[in-house]
Amino acid sequence: MRRIAIFLFLAALPLRAAPATFATRVAPALEKHCAVCHGAEKQKAKLRLDSYAAIVAGADSGPVLKAGDPKESELHRRITLPPHDDDFMPSDGKPPLSALDVKVIERWIAAGAPESAEFDAPAAPVVRVAEPAAPDYLPRLDQARKLATTLGVRLVPRSRVTTDGLVLRTASAPRQCDDALLAKLAPVADLIVEAELSRTRVTDAGLRAVATWSNLQRLDLARTGVTSAGVAALAPLAKLESINLTGTKVDERGVSALKANPRLTRIWTFGTPVASSP
Amino acid sequence: MMPFPFSPHTRRAFLGKVTQGVGAVAFASLLGRTTARAASAASARGVVWPLPLPQKAKRVIWLTMAGGPSQFETFDPKPKLAAMHGEPMPESLTRGQQLAQLQGQKLVCHAPQFPFAKFGKNQTEISTLLPHLGGVIDDICLIRSMTTDAINHDPAHMFMNTGAQIAGRPSMGAWVNYGLGSESENLPGFVVMVTTGPGRSPQPIATRQWSSGFLPSRFQGVQLHSRGDAVHYLSNPGQTTRAQQGADVRAITELNREHDAWVHDPEIATRIAQYEMAFQMQASVPELMDLRGEDARTLALYGCTPGDGSFAANCLLARRLVERGVRFIQLYHRDWDHHSLLREELPLRCKETDQAAAALITDLKQRGMLDETLVVWTGEFGRTPMSQDNKGTAGRDHHNKSMSMWLAGGGVKGGIVHGATDELGYAAVEDVCTVHDLHATMLHQLGIRHDAFTVKFQGLDAKLTGVEGANVIEKILA
Repeated sequence: MRRIAIFLFLAALPLRAAPATFATRVAPALEKHCAVCHGAEKQKAKLRLDSYAAIVAGADSGPVLKAGDPKESELHRRITLPPHDDDFMPSDGKPPLSALDVKVIERWIAAGAPESAEFDAPAAPVVRVAEPAAPDYLPRLDQARKLATTLGVRLVPRSRVTTDGLVLRTASAPRQCDDALLAKLAPVADLIVEAELSRTRVTDAGLRAVATWSNLQRLDLARTGVTSAGVAALAPLAKLESINLTGTKVDERGVSALKANPRLTRIWTFGTPVASSP
Repeated sequence: MMPFPFSPHTRRAFLGKVTQGVGAVAFASLLGRTTARAASAASARGVVWPLPLPQKAKRVIWLTMAGGPSQFETFDPKPKLAAMHGEPMPESLTRGQQLAQLQGQKLVCHAPQFPFAKFGKNQTEISTLLPHLGGVIDDICLIRSMTTDAINHDPAHMFMNTGAQIAGRPSMGAWVNYGLGSESENLPGFVVMVTTGPGRSPQPIATRQWSSGFLPSRFQGVQLHSRGDAVHYLSNPGQTTRAQQGADVRAITELNREHDAWVHDPEIATRIAQYEMAFQMQASVPELMDLRGEDARTLALYGCTPGDGSFAANCLLARRLVERGVRFIQLYHRDWDHHSLLREELPLRCKETDQAAAALITDLKQRGMLDETLVVWTGEFGRTPMSQDNKGTAGRDHHNKSMSMWLAGGGVKGGIVHGATDELGYAAVEDVCTVHDLHATMLHQLGIRHDAFTVKFQGLDAKLTGVEGANVIEKILA
């Protein structure tokens, strides 16, 4: 859900009023969209929009600002016309200001177009950059595919975000996946973020290899031959979030060893000697 | 637009993959060779790759209550309807609208026939006929505002399965396997199981409901029977050994490849793949269907005994199928078409399905699989708040303006109710959902953008979610 929130629902975030200034919110928008024609290089209509003084000075046809009144301000009118209007700015099909930038400029003018005083503006969306799950897989994707093909498993990107890691899948032929195979995945160890090893022939010995998959978040060991001793070896997996031990011989000792993994919040122990699932 | 694997250029690559990949794998793995098991990894890949969206659900178990269960006796409590029992249905609701068997008849309100009770942390009201589902209601997302286009069984089934009322489109299981590929080497990616209860005349259903339409036929649903031979004619005839059978299939594959060398027909590739899949299944299906390995506690949870062919046994098999990497499983339970005998028959259907469907949720959850498995329970349409009396004791007619269905797992919020119908339950009025919305949501959870998942067919970019537009039901996503 976290990833969706970042990539898809950004536009839906509530925009709260927050203090803003000309320098922090208005100038960057004008610089980005207007200064190409109204700046140091070109001064179309003898207008520059790259400094507060220049904006106040206006164009050859007169002022572009009426402090306190966005509707009567040429600056605001030009960027809110229908895009096909001859007077619409930016002209010539250059990318228009975002709805948020337009709103900020409207609020700024309404507040009297202050040079340095704060005014209330819709908050800029906070772009939280997700912590990369793993190193970029792109340079090693071919290598990973060839390796997977040779071994008879699958290594698939978790998403199109190339730092989202690879998922190891074995469901097509779980009985072909054993401890020796896991050791051979070493060249892509840091790319594996999810490992589906249920019903494979993996045992405690194989978990020594898994313990080196430093970016592993989810591990499914259901119905494998692993025991508490093997699970204890997983302590170095600092990013491990969930582990499925359904139908294994892992007992309380194993579960308590997993307390060493700081991010581990979900452990399934159905059908194990552990009395009740946490 | 997705690349289509059977245009002449890519077709070559596709065939090469199949003949060297799946074919070789089949024999290699079964006959103990290891050389070529591999190419399977590539051939399993679907056309949507890498996935554009985070994959919340890796697989789908779709429970179809064929015939159209009455929401008024299951999931949509309507006290006002009870209060108006026997009174004429307000004409303002029904005037000029299409009905199935009640067209032109006197329309009379028919009270919900069984009491409702509150379940779970949010005190969700569902019928007392469904106590087990009540017990897992906190894992269920109940949608009371589903609607559909069709009002008769066959088009409604087609619409629910393929997004179009007219037969010929690929079903959702085929779309999903085409998009994501199959994870299972020795079982089909799309499995269908049908339960016929001990009740009266069961609702007719047809194999076109799990057809691959214009997609290659290897994506079609494969029906497994839960009683007797799981797949008809899968067992070897009398004296034939597995080695002999393997030799036969190998020889036939060679002939097919020869044929393929001079005839451009992608179905030859499908035929090669199907022969080999069938050979694989001769080994994998008996192991799959053998419930003796399940402990007594599990059998009791579902309420089945091995080999009884019940809906409960099929739910348990569905869990075993997802464990084996099968991508899309559809279970049909027939006989929900209660034009008459509603009071008499509906409780029996609930009894046949309630415990098993709840057990499936519980079992997937305790094994850590519910998160990644989307479970869907739905009929093909809903039923009228009006009674139908022209076929015996009272029942309800088909209805497409309101129906209830539910989802669980697969990144969908549990314990919530989405949408509502008007106070008599005639039409969905709040957060109205369409079948296309449901399909869009399902694809979204599987990591696929429904509006970009298209196949050129007859000059159009055909989509599972149709052309009218569909919306992912964001409010129900966890």
